[in-house]
Amino acid sequence: MNPMTSNPLIESYFAALAAQLSDLQQAKRDEVVRELRAHLFDRLEQINVPTDDDCRTVLKAMGTPEEIARQYRMELLLNRSAWRISPWSVLRTLFRWTLTGIQGYIVFVLAMLGYTLGASFYVTALLKPFFPHNVGVFVSEGCLNLAHFPEPPPGAEILGAYYVPVAVFVGFLFTLGTTLAIRFVVRRFGKLKQKVAGMAAAA
Amino acid sequence: MALLRKEPKPEPTEKWEAQLRKGCLELAILACLWDKRLYGLEILRGLEQNSNLVLAEGTVYPILARLKEDGLLQSEWVEADAGHPRKYYWLTAPGRQKVVSMAQFWNSFTANLNSLLKPVLNGKGRS
Repeated sequence: MNPMTSNPLIESYFAALAAQLSDLQQAKRDEVVRELRAHLFDRLEQINVPTDDDCRTVLKAMGTPEEIARQYRMELLLNRSAWRISPWSVLRTLFRWTLTGIQGYIVFVLAMLGYTLGASFYVTALLKPFFPHNVGVFVSEGCLNLAHFPEPPPGAEILGAYYVPVAVFVGFLFTLGTTLAIRFVVRRFGKLKQKVAGMAAAA
Repeated sequence: MALLRKEPKPEPTEKWEAQLRKGCLELAILACLWDKRLYGLEILRGLEQNSNLVLAEGTVYPILARLKEDGLLQSEWVEADAGHPRKYYWLTAPGRQKVVSMAQFWNSFTANLNSLLKPVLNGKGRS
């Protein structure tokens, strides 16, 4: 075994790196730490008997854990959400993006709106069996009402029990549509943003 | 977050150089892997020999990770006879195509720019 494996300098460096990468999937994070450890050992192997000072020099040449983690975040995060169709991961990425400027913020607000609309359809679908007279599609004088409490809304309900599957379907369309739209925007403009951020970090 | 953190502003020329370096690094990494499988430190050595592209060694790995995610590279951990396992990288078929097109673009791009720069470097034409 390499005598440097349990050096506190090294351990604290990689602990800091792992902590900085906490938002990466566990498997990916382990992989990153493993690879950078291999790099460190390769560097130290070139020295006959590495001292703490050598260790410090090698770690310094690698860059700080913050710097490396920032690079990983920029290179991988936007990319990741471009591949996954999960509202949660898409929103997380978007939230990070939001923090970097007005453009991301606007997309984030629109995304929240889309998901909220989707969620409200799910909620009405859940409520329909319990409040059949309050929830549904009520049409009166060109107006459309979905739900009203405590009195039923004006007009006649046109869907009846079919409201539940229809609302679930519409809710699903909103959720899926929003996710796909964000994915598209992140893919299209995220790449650009990523480049700009990368340049800023390099500078 | 970036808005809250105040970092000292680098000199404009330094900033330009850093951007240029960063932009070229990807091409340089792909070019290193043209005819062989290499692990991180070998790639770094290749870059050190032929250019001064790398500032912090650790930052090559995030780029490798993204190139892999983009499908341009493939990687595998290989046990060494002595010592520890290393992660080797090699070009995929799309990676090979990409580096060729990048190299071609680079060639025509620098040719055009060089002809623009000629008078500047010769210092002629203006008093």
